[in-house]
Amino acid sequence: MRLLIVEDDAPLASGLRRMLEAEGYAVDVTGRGEEAVLAASQERFDLVILDIGLPQMDGFEVLRRLRAAEKPMPVLVLTARDAVDDRVRGLDLGADDYMAKPFAMPELTARVRALLRRSQAHGDPRIVHGPLAIDTVARRAFLRGEPLELAAREWAVLEVLLAKVEKIVSKEAIIQAVAGWGDDLSPNAIEVYISRLRSKLEPAGIKIRTVRGFGYMLEEFKEP
Amino acid sequence: MAAGSLRAHLLRMLLPPIAALLGLGAVIAYYPSIEPATEAYDQSLVDIGIALGSHIRGADIGFRLELPPAVEQVLRADRYDQIYYRVGGPGGEPIAGDLDLPLPAERAAGLQYYDTRYKDRRVRAVSMPAQCGAATCTVVVAETTIKRTRMAREILLSNVLPEALIALATVVIVWFGVKRGLAPLARLSEEIKERSPADLHALDAGKAPEETRPLIVALNGLLGELAAANRNQQRFLADAAHQLRTPLAGLQAHTELALAQPMPDACRTQVEQVHQATIRTARLANQLLALARAEPGGHTEPLATVELRPMVEAVADEWVHRALQRDLDLGFDLQSANVRADEFLLREALANLLHNAIEYSPRGARITVRTGMRDGKAVLEIEDEGPGIPPGERERVLDRFYRVPGTPGTGSGLGLAIVREIASGHGATLTIAEGTSPAGANKGCRVALTFPHG
Repeated sequence: MRLLIVEDDAPLASGLRRMLEAEGYAVDVTGRGEEAVLAASQERFDLVILDIGLPQMDGFEVLRRLRAAEKPMPVLVLTARDAVDDRVRGLDLGADDYMAKPFAMPELTARVRALLRRSQAHGDPRIVHGPLAIDTVARRAFLRGEPLELAAREWAVLEVLLAKVEKIVSKEAIIQAVAGWGDDLSPNAIEVYISRLRSKLEPAGIKIRTVRGFGYMLEEFKEP
Repeated sequence: MAAGSLRAHLLRMLLPPIAALLGLGAVIAYYPSIEPATEAYDQSLVDIGIALGSHIRGADIGFRLELPPAVEQVLRADRYDQIYYRVGGPGGEPIAGDLDLPLPAERAAGLQYYDTRYKDRRVRAVSMPAQCGAATCTVVVAETTIKRTRMAREILLSNVLPEALIALATVVIVWFGVKRGLAPLARLSEEIKERSPADLHALDAGKAPEETRPLIVALNGLLGELAAANRNQQRFLADAAHQLRTPLAGLQAHTELALAQPMPDACRTQVEQVHQATIRTARLANQLLALARAEPGGHTEPLATVELRPMVEAVADEWVHRALQRDLDLGFDLQSANVRADEFLLREALANLLHNAIEYSPRGARITVRTGMRDGKAVLEIEDEGPGIPPGERERVLDRFYRVPGTPGTGSGLGLAIVREIASGHGATLTIAEGTSPAGANKGCRVALTFPHG
């Protein structure tokens, strides 16, 4: 995986580089927006970490040009400013995620992993989550290499959760995703599917957390 | 009348000359109207004199007045006044009547009017010649001045009354005229009063009367300078935020990197402390910036309609993860509620309340974020199962840098001060109460922001 860091603050850029290299990524760093646009046009990056407050060509402009050139890689925007507008503007221009400085490194690396997973999964029917592997086209699931039997609605709920690992998925969103199978679904029914999924997945160390009053979150798989 | 009032000033300037003019007018009108009346009364005295004169009998000597009592009664009859007369011979010898009635001080031929006193009363008298045979006798007729005084008073009154009314009308006109004339100023002050401190738009000089334009232009100048100062402050805050946060992010990255390396324990403890201090400093910088933005005049964003529920949902991920790191159960009870707000500041308030709840709750505790309508008002509430804030401290914890004595941790004491500042900027009330399910020593804490209607 190759990452491009666009950050003009040298200590922060070197810290980011070392942290991400320790995670096993190949990392390039530039402190100038113009160079970032040029590099992205000549080489392939799997993800860009982009600071908004760059000298001369700012991060918004870099983002606009990357998207205008139809570069598909995910962009994680960093900003030291605090206006909500920045976030909205960044996301409007096609940023995939947004972090305010200063941030904790584990949080940044978790977001990078999530963004990469999402973009790699794009078009790939196979999703791997720790010991769980599913083939969305063949509609087959394997847990620790063993075939896993899932009812149609359990399958639908699992797919929604897998698409947003570490993000809360509201009950409403799950109902909407599952409601394609016809009749009305009550939030209680969702709880039933979740508890069935839990009994099948938790023995393998895959956790679905309940966020009270909101929804569910498939936690990132951690080796025991 | 308040000192320095424009009305009082106008009245003070207007009333003395008006009073003087009216007084002068009354005097000028008095004489032309009293003169014909006086002449008429004098003439009736003369008539009495002529009548008396025609009753003088005798020739050369031995003049006498042959006045039948009935005629005398008629001549002396007057509704108001006492009438006196005296008839004297050609040599001045008394003939008849009130013989001690004073004669004019200077005798002259012909008709002579004069004022004098008789029987201790003021009288108007006329001395006139009367034919007695070949000689000329003198008849003096006098009357008291009751009806003349009365008439003078009436004339004066009939002149002065309308003038007093004119003076009164002037006062009334000035009173209400000033109020009416100043109405545009009153409207202007209403407009300024109703403005939010953030609204520094120029006032519309077009609607105002010409006289108030210099005031409006001056006010607009001031508003413009304030707006420019505000913009400068915002720019400064944005720059300061950037300049502070970026190096702090670098520092934090490197302390985290260092901690990921193998190193002697003594060294690790110190790096750990540097790391914690970095995180605290970053938070403090963020809070100071938030406080500066939350202060009156600090935020220039116009208020917009913010739906509380999606606002909370948008940041739920981040906070659930933070809560999980401390083994806390962060849950939600979100109903729809709209408020007029600066969304950034509202999120800042929520962030500070959640930070406190996470910071002070014991492991395994529940934290609940609620949004919804209560008594027709939008409410944002955060409840935790921490130690709570004793009632006696609930006011003071809103002060900047104040922390309840004995509180663990390293908070700056700014969080609730920021929330209070944001609440007051939105006209919202901030209330701190006990939790709904206190558990032992932990009474829990419920902090609610209640927004005004609409």
